[in-house]
Amino acid sequence: MNASAGTAAAWTWVDHLRAGGTTPWVAWLESASGVSDPRQGDRLLPGAQQLELVRRLNDAGTPSPELVERVLVASAPGRGRQDLELLGAVEPLAFGPPPIDPATLGADDLARVAVGLIAEDVVGAGGPPREPVRARRWRTRYRLAGDPWLADSMRAELVSEGRPPGGRGALAAVVGTDLATMVAHDWTARCFTEGGVDWASFCTGIRRRGRLPRRLDLARTAERWATELGGPAQVRVVLDPSRVAKVVGVRRLHVLPDVAVDAAELARRTAGALGLLVTPPRRTELLRGVLLPRLAAVHGPRPVVPEAHRDWLEEQARLVQRGIRSGDYPVVGDLDALLPRWPDLPAVDEAQRSDSVLSLALSLLLDPATGGGDAR
Amino acid sequence: MSERVLLHVGTPKTGTSYLQDVLFRNRVKLLASGITYPAERFDAHFLAALDLMKMPWGGLQAEAIGAWDELAAAVRKAPGTAIISHEILATASRSQVKRALESVGYGTGTEVHVILSVRDLVRQIPAEWQENVKHRAGLSYHDFLKRIQDPERASRIGSWFWGVQEIPDILNRWGHDLPPEHVHLVTVPPPGAPELLWKRFSTAFGLDGLDLDLEAERLNPSLGVPEIALIRRINRRANKDLHPPDYRPLVRELLAHQTLSQRTSSPRLALPPSVHPWVQELSQSWVDEIRRRGYDVVGELSDLIGAPAVPASEYADPDRPAERQVADAGVDAIKALLLDNARLRREEERLHAELHEAHLALERSYLRPTYRLREKIVRRAERSLAGKGMLKVYRAARGRSSRSA
Repeated sequence: MNASAGTAAAWTWVDHLRAGGTTPWVAWLESASGVSDPRQGDRLLPGAQQLELVRRLNDAGTPSPELVERVLVASAPGRGRQDLELLGAVEPLAFGPPPIDPATLGADDLARVAVGLIAEDVVGAGGPPREPVRARRWRTRYRLAGDPWLADSMRAELVSEGRPPGGRGALAAVVGTDLATMVAHDWTARCFTEGGVDWASFCTGIRRRGRLPRRLDLARTAERWATELGGPAQVRVVLDPSRVAKVVGVRRLHVLPDVAVDAAELARRTAGALGLLVTPPRRTELLRGVLLPRLAAVHGPRPVVPEAHRDWLEEQARLVQRGIRSGDYPVVGDLDALLPRWPDLPAVDEAQRSDSVLSLALSLLLDPATGGGDAR
Repeated sequence: MSERVLLHVGTPKTGTSYLQDVLFRNRVKLLASGITYPAERFDAHFLAALDLMKMPWGGLQAEAIGAWDELAAAVRKAPGTAIISHEILATASRSQVKRALESVGYGTGTEVHVILSVRDLVRQIPAEWQENVKHRAGLSYHDFLKRIQDPERASRIGSWFWGVQEIPDILNRWGHDLPPEHVHLVTVPPPGAPELLWKRFSTAFGLDGLDLDLEAERLNPSLGVPEIALIRRINRRANKDLHPPDYRPLVRELLAHQTLSQRTSSPRLALPPSVHPWVQELSQSWVDEIRRRGYDVVGELSDLIGAPAVPASEYADPDRPAERQVADAGVDAIKALLLDNARLRREEERLHAELHEAHLALERSYLRPTYRLREKIVRRAERSLAGKGMLKVYRAARGRSSRSA
């Protein structure tokens, strides 16, 4: 087939995709011999990534015509391969990146385009920035520290009820759970804040530095607050998150559930794209207020610390335990709860992970996050 | 609405920083001649390009939000001619180019010209690797060359390099809809003729005859082989511990630009002789294609072929540098760091003295009898339950507190 017939076939494939078709490009090209199309002079035949993403969306559900048009003109944010030509649709070029059969594109190439659009949806679904709530006069004075996933969400909930942290005579609740879960929490919290590195690199990074992230070292955190607030008696190390409410003087406090590793990974990538659209504080607000309620419902395995780092983490947990004991800090819950628990889960390879992140991204495009729920 | 828009979209390492510096510093004079260079800060067009292409750049992207639309609005409002210039625009995708052209008035009566300044690959390839190293990269020259020679261009290095350097492809994206006479190529002359390059820029941008201040303030100096080898080793050793906000002032500015670039007698970075034939063949095919398309060329197309290969015996490989030269560069780097450290120590001492003064002043105010009396009362009250209760009532009644939140 010559290139001009290939271009015509490409345009009819675009129509096929717009109509909800799922035929792969190569099969379409083979069956489209002899078609002609008046638009073949148009320069802006959508890129291979965009077209394949529409095909996958059609395969996964029924995208709205508006969504299809947005995908067709979207460029992937950030660095990396830009819109590629369809193999067989254009003259063989002596310049530019080589044309490609879209079926051979990796899941990450497609997910790059998808997260740009998800970020736009998240910005669109965000309400106005939250108004500060007036502080109640009669409230228990507290400080919340420790596991960032748990402590930050609990503090946000308290603030939204007019109970900001601090104040004379405050008691510091240093919240934690088993150290393996806390490492996963720390990474998840970053995914829903600034993005950062993927899970495997995060674990390797901690190990390379040879020390726990500051907030996960509960003994050091307790020590800091004891110094600040006037002694160990002003600190409670709370290793049962459901008991934090009592320590900070409220009847109940929502314990933010763990998020599936694929969902957190998608949030991480979306955070990168969101950073190009809104300021960092607004990004965190949108990730937690709009995207998290939607992703919290996603089922799947939680981030699991790779085997290679487990002995080291167990040793760190024992060191933290020792620090808490020697600091004489009151503990709410069992100190052994700090020891890592290892779920019996099969290892997931990176290609598998990319595929499941892409399929999650497709479902988010088909059914965008709207900001419902009260996750903070 | 502007009558004419000049979009200078690349390429990097072609004297763009100098051009943008001249345009920025002379924008008032230019305006008087009917040429608008809309920028409130030197990097305004860079931020706009980041925004257009949705590209993160070391945290700067937050400042870039909405910058393209602002720039495009200023261009549309400008009477006469307006200029936009940034070299990373070269890598814009087709849909981003479409948005850029439409946003500056293309298709609604504005005459849009695309200008691309270009330099031979014999100089561009080493310069791009050097730029990568000055931006924290640790990859060897050999690996860099391997990646850019990969026809799939799937790596970040490969896709970026060709995105900003492959002249026919850049012009496919930027100039496809424009008549060839509205697409201008400014070729960088062979080394040793900086005035000639300015003359070519001046012709392409219609600046001839204007009395502009051409003093350069912003330059991006290049490094020799042992110096760039040293920076690469520093990157590999320190990257994981040195945070990006510290890297730029300490490594890129202090070490590379202010210190090591002064060492001009060391061997210069060049294209390896083994890669030269491939580059020459590629460059010739570009020259033929550009000639065929009929663009306006300011300068000589033959400039794109570049210098002949360095003889193998004279080629200095940055992956296997002369260790004595690297050590010498290292001593210069240590000296620069020591001097900077000494400067910071003096600054620290000055700040300590200032803080000490502030503490003394604070103590003097605490010594006032009324303050001491109030302090005594509060301390005593805090010792008993009743006292604590009274304090609580007092503070609640007062309505606000001086306590830390």
